[in-house]
Amino acid sequence: MIEKTKGVDRAANIVLATGMIFILFPLVITLVTATQSYEDFVRNGFSFMPGTHFLDNISIVIETTHLPRQILNSIIMATMMATIKCVIAFLTAYAIVYFRIRYGGIIFAMVLVTNLMPLELRFITTYQVASNVMLPVNAFLEFTGIARIIELISGHHPHYKLSILNTYFGLAAPLLANGTGTFLFRQYFRSLPADLSKAAKMDGAGPIRFLWDILMPLSKSNFAALFLIMFLGGWTQYLWPLVAASTPEMQTAVVGLARLSPGIPGEVPQYPAIMAGAVMVSVIPLLMIAFMQRHIVRGLTLTEK
Amino acid sequence: MKQTVTTSAEIELNNLSKRFDDLEVIPPMSACLHDGEFTVILGPSGCGKSTLLNMIAGLEVVSGGKILIGGVEMQDMEPKDRGCAMVFQNYALYPHMSVAENIGYSLKVAKVNKAERSERVVAAARFVSLEEYLDRRPGQLSGGQRQRVAIARAIVREPKVMLFDEPLSNLDAKLRHEMRMELSSLHKRIKATSVFVTHDQVEAMTLADRIMVLNKGQIEQFDKPSVIYNHPASTFVANFIGSPAMNLINVTGDGSHYRLGDGSILAVGSKKGDFILGIRPEHVAIQADGPQADVTYIEDLGSHFVMVAQLSDGQQIQISRPHDEETPAMSDLKIRLSDSRIRLFDPETQKAIS
Repeated sequence: MIEKTKGVDRAANIVLATGMIFILFPLVITLVTATQSYEDFVRNGFSFMPGTHFLDNISIVIETTHLPRQILNSIIMATMMATIKCVIAFLTAYAIVYFRIRYGGIIFAMVLVTNLMPLELRFITTYQVASNVMLPVNAFLEFTGIARIIELISGHHPHYKLSILNTYFGLAAPLLANGTGTFLFRQYFRSLPADLSKAAKMDGAGPIRFLWDILMPLSKSNFAALFLIMFLGGWTQYLWPLVAASTPEMQTAVVGLARLSPGIPGEVPQYPAIMAGAVMVSVIPLLMIAFMQRHIVRGLTLTEK
Repeated sequence: MKQTVTTSAEIELNNLSKRFDDLEVIPPMSACLHDGEFTVILGPSGCGKSTLLNMIAGLEVVSGGKILIGGVEMQDMEPKDRGCAMVFQNYALYPHMSVAENIGYSLKVAKVNKAERSERVVAAARFVSLEEYLDRRPGQLSGGQRQRVAIARAIVREPKVMLFDEPLSNLDAKLRHEMRMELSSLHKRIKATSVFVTHDQVEAMTLADRIMVLNKGQIEQFDKPSVIYNHPASTFVANFIGSPAMNLINVTGDGSHYRLGDGSILAVGSKKGDFILGIRPEHVAIQADGPQADVTYIEDLGSHFVMVAQLSDGQQIQISRPHDEETPAMSDLKIRLSDSRIRLFDPETQKAIS
């Protein structure tokens, strides 16, 4: 039921406008400050007077910080994460919907449960594994006694070590498991005509052919929507990249941006440059949203025929 | 130009059965679907008719028995190697492909070269008068055109057998009628052995050369529509076909008459014992004297009346009379069952007594 009364409308508009101001205020401050020179800023503090030094501030960021490199890192990591997540989600949903699997329901439930287990909950163990991904292998060798046998034969006690910390893969891998995409694709596949897969089978297309020729083209919008959501999710990751990347050259843009703030104690921080950095970090997600908006709406509504 | 002419083949089901774990959906059944014949598999939902069709197509694994198409054992073959094509409920066209791509997809999968492919696609499209729509998407077509795309997609492979899985069930009544006419004329032109699954008796009566009535996975009767209608083999068939269905009345025969529970005479007949008497509503006449029936409800359908009446022992009978007869009185109706139209069934086995 939608009520249409002037009073309610006006009240709603006031609430919305207040919310808008609340959200936009920091953004305006960021943009305005990014255009001011350091001298202006020291003289006036935060103000609403736009300056003319935006490009100067940008070049300060480019010349004196690792931010450009870190933005590239973020692009690589977020793209990697989003791509792999989409592929895994698509394949998992395909298996669950189109094949009669024993315990399919339980598997799907377990996939969804991963949403209840964010990385923050398993931080320390994840770090341990990332610092040596052979940890489970070592444990297995010890547990089964194979380690002893190898020691007897070769004289060395086997202990393998392979760290993925400070690599792109290490940044992305622990964040890959996520049930949201699987859920999204599953719902979409179930909204498609059930006979589609039978028709493909009658036409002689095997499971892979069906996946490639029919399911993938039909899921384009869903891919776009999911990719964008996962990309943004990866872009804004803070805690894990902070721990997993130890050198500035491997850190992500968001981490790098946070590192910009503390200046020399007692001195006014270089806020105009920091804000220019914030603008730079926001540009790519904004562009992606702008270009893919149409697909997101279509991909998330699930009503396509 | 290559003509889209298909050959046909006989389908033989030999002790074919299907079970899902412990549930027997289709007990072993045997039947022969003749070369070029249009068979309609008719039954209520859950009777196993779609499962049977899927087994013939190869979309469902066979639990036991054999399927022979054109004399070749097919039950373990891949769907594409069986020479069958299928038209689905809602047609299941590929929404992202053009009409031409939809029709030609099976040829593309089979790696038929491009020139031959487009030639065959055009021929199939022409066959169903769709050649002007080849570049359209299925979403831009009407329901009838979609059905023709689905049929073109099926015949482009030149199948020996055409399978239809309730293709008309989601259409409105008017379109359904048009589609029936099209399917019928199409079958006359392609001549492929056709198997059509439906729960709609009108589709079955109008399309079929022979109707296979299925009940709980078993064949109740497999015969020509007129035989199914006039000589139902069991009370199930009698009840399932005809609208309204055949009246089934419990009677006792004394050698000269069939009597109702209260001893009053319903009809003339020489058999002795307890029977279920079957009579179609349109074979019950109204006349000056005879068994009494009290009308409880009348439906005026424009072309005819359908009356629901109570016999003297409380059993119900439906009567269908043409409109040009005068409006019948509500009570004290006297009826007569035409003797030659009476069918008798065994109350124990529910089968017809010849």
